[in-house]
Amino acid sequence: MFETIIGIEVHCELKTQSKMFSSAPVSFGQPPNSQAHVIDLAMPGTLPSVNKKAVEMAIRVCHALHMDIDSLLRFDRKNYYYPDLPKGFQITQQYHPIGKNGYLDIEVNGQKIHINIEQLHLEEDTAKLTHDDDCTLIDYNRAGIPLIEIVTQPQFHNSQEVCAYLEALRMILIYTDVSDAIMAQGSMRCDINISLRPEGSQGYGEKVEIKNLNSLANVQKAIDFEIQRQTELLLNHCSVPRQTRRFDEKTQKTIAMRDKELLADYRYYPEPNILPVRLPWQWIESIKDHLPVLPAQRRDKYIHEYKLSVKEADTLLLNKDLSDFYDQVVKQCIYYDTVCHWLIGDVLSYLHKNHLHIHDIFEVQDFAKLMNMTGQGIVSSKQTKQVLSLMILEKKDPLTIMQKHHIQQMNDENVLIELIEELLDNHFQLVQDYHQGKTNLLGYFVGQVMKKTQGQANPQKTNQLLKQLLEKRKT
Amino acid sequence: MNVYSIEELHHGFKTGQILPENYYQEIWHEAQYQQKRLNAFALMTFDKAQQDLKHAQFQNILSGIPYVLKDNFNTKGIYTTASSRMLADYLPVYNAHIVDLLEKAECCLIGKASMDELGMGTMNMTALTGPVLNPWNIQRVAGGSSGGCAALVGSGVVPFAIGSDTGDSIRRPAGFCGIVGMKPTWGLISRYGLIPYAASLDTVGAMTRSVKDMSIVLENIAGYDEHDMTSCTKKVPSYYQSLSSDVSHLKIAVIKNVYERLADSRIKEKFMNCVSIFKTLGATIHEVEFPDTYLQALSPVYQIIANGEATSQHACLDGIKYGLQKQGENIDDMIIRTRSQGFHQSIQQRFILGSLALKQENQEKMFRKAQQVRRLIVNLIQDLYRHYDIILTPNGEGIAPFLDEAKQVEYTLVDDFLIVANLAGLPSLTLPCGFVDHMPVAIHIMGRCFEEQTVLNCAYALEKSLSFSQQYCQKEIQHV
Repeated sequence: MFETIIGIEVHCELKTQSKMFSSAPVSFGQPPNSQAHVIDLAMPGTLPSVNKKAVEMAIRVCHALHMDIDSLLRFDRKNYYYPDLPKGFQITQQYHPIGKNGYLDIEVNGQKIHINIEQLHLEEDTAKLTHDDDCTLIDYNRAGIPLIEIVTQPQFHNSQEVCAYLEALRMILIYTDVSDAIMAQGSMRCDINISLRPEGSQGYGEKVEIKNLNSLANVQKAIDFEIQRQTELLLNHCSVPRQTRRFDEKTQKTIAMRDKELLADYRYYPEPNILPVRLPWQWIESIKDHLPVLPAQRRDKYIHEYKLSVKEADTLLLNKDLSDFYDQVVKQCIYYDTVCHWLIGDVLSYLHKNHLHIHDIFEVQDFAKLMNMTGQGIVSSKQTKQVLSLMILEKKDPLTIMQKHHIQQMNDENVLIELIEELLDNHFQLVQDYHQGKTNLLGYFVGQVMKKTQGQANPQKTNQLLKQLLEKRKT
Repeated sequence: MNVYSIEELHHGFKTGQILPENYYQEIWHEAQYQQKRLNAFALMTFDKAQQDLKHAQFQNILSGIPYVLKDNFNTKGIYTTASSRMLADYLPVYNAHIVDLLEKAECCLIGKASMDELGMGTMNMTALTGPVLNPWNIQRVAGGSSGGCAALVGSGVVPFAIGSDTGDSIRRPAGFCGIVGMKPTWGLISRYGLIPYAASLDTVGAMTRSVKDMSIVLENIAGYDEHDMTSCTKKVPSYYQSLSSDVSHLKIAVIKNVYERLADSRIKEKFMNCVSIFKTLGATIHEVEFPDTYLQALSPVYQIIANGEATSQHACLDGIKYGLQKQGENIDDMIIRTRSQGFHQSIQQRFILGSLALKQENQEKMFRKAQQVRRLIVNLIQDLYRHYDIILTPNGEGIAPFLDEAKQVEYTLVDDFLIVANLAGLPSLTLPCGFVDHMPVAIHIMGRCFEEQTVLNCAYALEKSLSFSQQYCQKEIQHV
């Protein structure tokens, strides 16, 4: 009956060393107002200096989203009075965004959707306001942190598509190494523009903007609620007023913040303190050349070249550190599935439990060495687990650990044959039973060999030798 | 008190012929006397000057030289008011770049000079501390907006002052007070720490009593600053060493339809005298026209751009972070009350005009149009500079007006021409060239961007022939 049209604006804080226009550090969890330069406080007479690293990061994301890059960098002023805006204006890129006309392909229910990205621009974050009962506190630590804003065309139709896009975009931001992109912490924020129109109609309905969505779950709930709310309004022949709303977690509803009927006039005009900067094409291209391999390409490689399952590939990709680590390990180890199995299994759960990063516990080289032995069957699965724990504990390479703890597989056939012969001699009756059809006794014999060798016998080899020797005694 | 040039002072300090401590005592007395007479200081910082003097080694030419700063330059730990009620109690936590430069050069700051509020004015009548009077006649104004600087250099208290010029704010008061004033190329001197008026027009400059002193000061304050992205990376020439009075190779354009408009024939005569001196010195002089339509556009274009930029430039003065704060019922009310009480009414009018020009519905036909016309004016001037090295005009219409007439003075197209230098970012210098009604009259010399040397040389040659160098007035002159 009605078609939903949604456009998305994502704000993402860049993890630069210093702020967009000042030398104050960008660091989180610091005491309020300890990370503010006179420029961030808009002391009269201060002037902005553009952060080159922030521009580089913006270009990185532009490349990842296949955008046209404007090599003439220009900024504008967005004027309004609010306590979170120290200068009384925000420096942004209203007229000439650094990136235009990009796209991102996403997958929803196994179907590919081509999302058109309208623009990407650079700007600065505002100060953080904390409203108390009788006062408002201002923290300028956030003021001036570099932001990129990424705007899509109005082309989404439901919350599922929106969430898939946000998740894919989040991965891009993480894999281009420009942001932590954690919605709950505000380093990635999303505003939703949503309107309904009669199915088949070409125009757009009155737009409602939903702000301050701090998780994917809330994005989904807010959109679903809003679609229902607007549908009911329209069915009752009421018009949908143009509004800015927010999602209220307590009531699980969207609530009107302010009417947008009187559109604010931000009196945008070109920033006179930053002259247009011509970015060299060579620089822009070299940023492209150094772009990390993006999640879509990695996924493709994992599935088609390394023959991982879709689930394994996606699990690896969820953690960029892990994916990076995997990519490095498989340069030195061809047992792709073994490496993946151990990384997303025991290792990942250990990392989660202890809030650690992969680089905190393993060197690529050491991990690859162990995986090679595991893959070749030199160490058993049980031993691998044991060596991994000891490697974390003692911070040594696997060979040293195995030597020290006498962990190695008994691969010497002569020794194994001797052991097996002795075992079979001592269990004459059982050997007879085996030959009369109780073949499941094989497991018992293997267990006995393992017991005798304290688990060091190579299980495959033991198995194989036992079969041979039992066969020999058949007559 | 004895009045010296920078060269004389430097030589005197270095050789011991002038004892710094004694000299600073003299300055102190003179400053107090002149403050009563002219009301030119916003703040006297004599204790700081004496402290600074202790560190002076007198090795470089500016070491130990006293100076004043227009009160719109941030000075760490020293009140900086921009002569506005809004900033009456504003104590900066950082130094403007130029203040750091001058401290490094071991200059001694003896005070902050009064100005028109936020640099917006031409008569220095809107300062928080009251009007600044003219050293040549205290019934007349010093001019603005750098009026305090002009009065203190013109009365001989200091050999140089640092001012700022957005439309004519150095050159007009310099002309009124009979001193040399220079607005260099936009971008030659860092604006970091200058409380702005309008970013694309604001220029830091200096005021002295001679061209030689100007060249010394200029080469010490020019140069790239990483904190100002609009400052130029070019190497600063040594203006002082390269100073030359040879103008025989110069092609000079005299703007006919500007100087012919001068209402006072005596001022016109002084101007023509300068022109004939240049001829005598061998320069090629041509009379050219600056189309009247462009002349008439200067003031409206300037008003729209300057006030448009100013309105956002001063949006930071909201009473939240520093400066005046008036309580209100809510945040909007608080900001409105603070700004209504913090700014002079004339300033509020400028903000309103600026906001109007930037409004979405007006921007295309006002602000953007003004920027386009600005571009046309710049093109026209650049065409002229293809044929000429220097453009000469009178430094405005008349002499300093009487205090009670200052508010009624109507600006003419002759006055407006000074704005060209700001719209096009050109270096321009005001040089005293005679007296009318016992008040100084000046000529305006404007050159190509970054060709300060040509402007200085031209002024140097004229100054030599006119012998108005190092003039000042400490007391009322009894005219018969």
